[in-house]
Amino acid sequence: MKSHGTKILLSALKYIAIGIFVLWVLIPVAWVVSLAFKPYAEWRVSYFVPKNFTWNNFIVLFKSEAFVGIMGATAIVEPVTKPLINSLAVTSLSTIIAVMIGFFTAYGASRYNTPGPFGLFFTLLTRMLPPATFVTPIMVYYSNLRLLDTHFGLIILYSAVTVTYGIWILKGFIDAIPIEWEEAAMLEGATPIKTLFKVVLPIARPGLVVAGLFIFLLTWTELLFALVLTNVYAVTLPVHISKYVGAVGQLYGPQAALALIGSIIPIAIGYAIQKHLVTGFTFGMVRG
Amino acid sequence: MPEKPPREIKYLATLPVNILLNAVLIIPFAIMIYLAFLKWSPAMGMNWWEAPIIGLTNFARALGDARFIAALSRTALYTVSVVAIEFFLGLALAYIMLGDFVGKKAAIAITIYPLMLPPVVVATIFYLMFQSYGPVNNLFLKAIMGEEALRIYWFLKPDTAFITLLIADIWQWTPFMFLIMYSALSAVPKRLVEAAEVLGASSFTIFWRVRLPLIKPLIIVALVLRGLEAFKMFDYAFIMTGGGPGTTTETVSMYIYRTAILYTDISYAAAMSLIILAMIIIVVRAFIWYFFERGR
Repeated sequence: MKSHGTKILLSALKYIAIGIFVLWVLIPVAWVVSLAFKPYAEWRVSYFVPKNFTWNNFIVLFKSEAFVGIMGATAIVEPVTKPLINSLAVTSLSTIIAVMIGFFTAYGASRYNTPGPFGLFFTLLTRMLPPATFVTPIMVYYSNLRLLDTHFGLIILYSAVTVTYGIWILKGFIDAIPIEWEEAAMLEGATPIKTLFKVVLPIARPGLVVAGLFIFLLTWTELLFALVLTNVYAVTLPVHISKYVGAVGQLYGPQAALALIGSIIPIAIGYAIQKHLVTGFTFGMVRG
Repeated sequence: MPEKPPREIKYLATLPVNILLNAVLIIPFAIMIYLAFLKWSPAMGMNWWEAPIIGLTNFARALGDARFIAALSRTALYTVSVVAIEFFLGLALAYIMLGDFVGKKAAIAITIYPLMLPPVVVATIFYLMFQSYGPVNNLFLKAIMGEEALRIYWFLKPDTAFITLLIADIWQWTPFMFLIMYSALSAVPKRLVEAAEVLGASSFTIFWRVRLPLIKPLIIVALVLRGLEAFKMFDYAFIMTGGGPGTTTETVSMYIYRTAILYTDISYAAAMSLIILAMIIIVVRAFIWYFFERGR
């Protein structure tokens, strides 16, 4: 048995370890939040709390050509408005498509044991392969179909690569619905399709919400496909951020402000589905 | 099962996913296999289906391409490093947080914060952290080395640039390992741990002999999933280092991207993609066979 003193020492060490990790997570975020509200003169200082608080870094993001001349950089940057709207539209629509198609597939897989057309292996594969390895032919294919730089092209691509998550998350939820309920509805004379929409769909609604939010999170953060397949018209927020940080150089304040704008929605969604994050990220192999 | 399984539903249910995957992924995949055997670039002024077939030349070129081999081994080194570090950190943290303590909920909520951020945002965060006047130099290293610290240019040397990428990855994905290990460890039945305690096992023995063997399958799942994700790495390098200085932090994803987009050498990019795909498919297939199908 451990002595009283050892126990106190161990719990102190535990708090210290957790404290260090919490600081490791928080300091980079705190630095970016502080940069976002600092005026130009304070971008290179070592303290975190801005002396002259400013909203200017955010305002400047919504104007074009705002940066010409600052620090000798002559980059002309588009306002963030269009990428923001594009991201919202593309992400929402592709999420709805992926969740609905995922729901039907998961229903088939759960009730009739059809694990989709290609089985476990293929559905896993679409998520496991590096996007860089199949973006090249998609670009060629899209340019032949005239789908490059269109919202539609991005939406169907995102639906296709995230539908896997919809299938796996929803299958868990549908498996939990007793099949007797459906049998009861069919005995009452409901058609199979009516049973699907009137019995299964309403009960699986929490699953649809979880799957939808998780897919939204994944799509919102995707860079490579959007980078290759868009140019001017359908640019999404991650592409805008990548151009802004990579090409523009040392505009620390606005870059930090842009990082904050890009993280508001995913953070809100992430905490909303905190309990289901494990399930989502591991395709339901690990229950949260 | 219902006595009369309505077959229409069975086919109807998987019809949409079939259409979607065929239209968006399968057709381009078939095109890619064909492209890899061609000599084609949009700059040649012809459609790809009119381009000459050159057989295995593209594949042979990839195997002799020093830049491709370097990118491949660099990505492998990156993957192994971050997965190992994230696993041990995540497991240690999950073990520490297993019991009850004051502020546990808040600690977990803060710990998993990085997981939700877009990788482009994390890249931006660490791009800002590692500037020569950023807090890493200006606050932490200055305390140790003095004014010298402000002259460290992290992104201008291959080694330090690579380290910044590792740190960004570890910062963002250690919570992933933590979450999986934490839910796995919490699911270990209490009575087993108590039984071991009654038998007089030390807490280290319980961890090593009882808890760890029970969560081994989940450890494998976590390692493989994280490994495959890390191997994809594009966003951090693209934003923080641009693959530079030179091509010294270029990953496989970045090299393929550049070959296809900057050098418009589409058929060569397709061939390299197929090589990577084949490697990954072998790994994933072996993984699924070993852990899901072997016993059946």
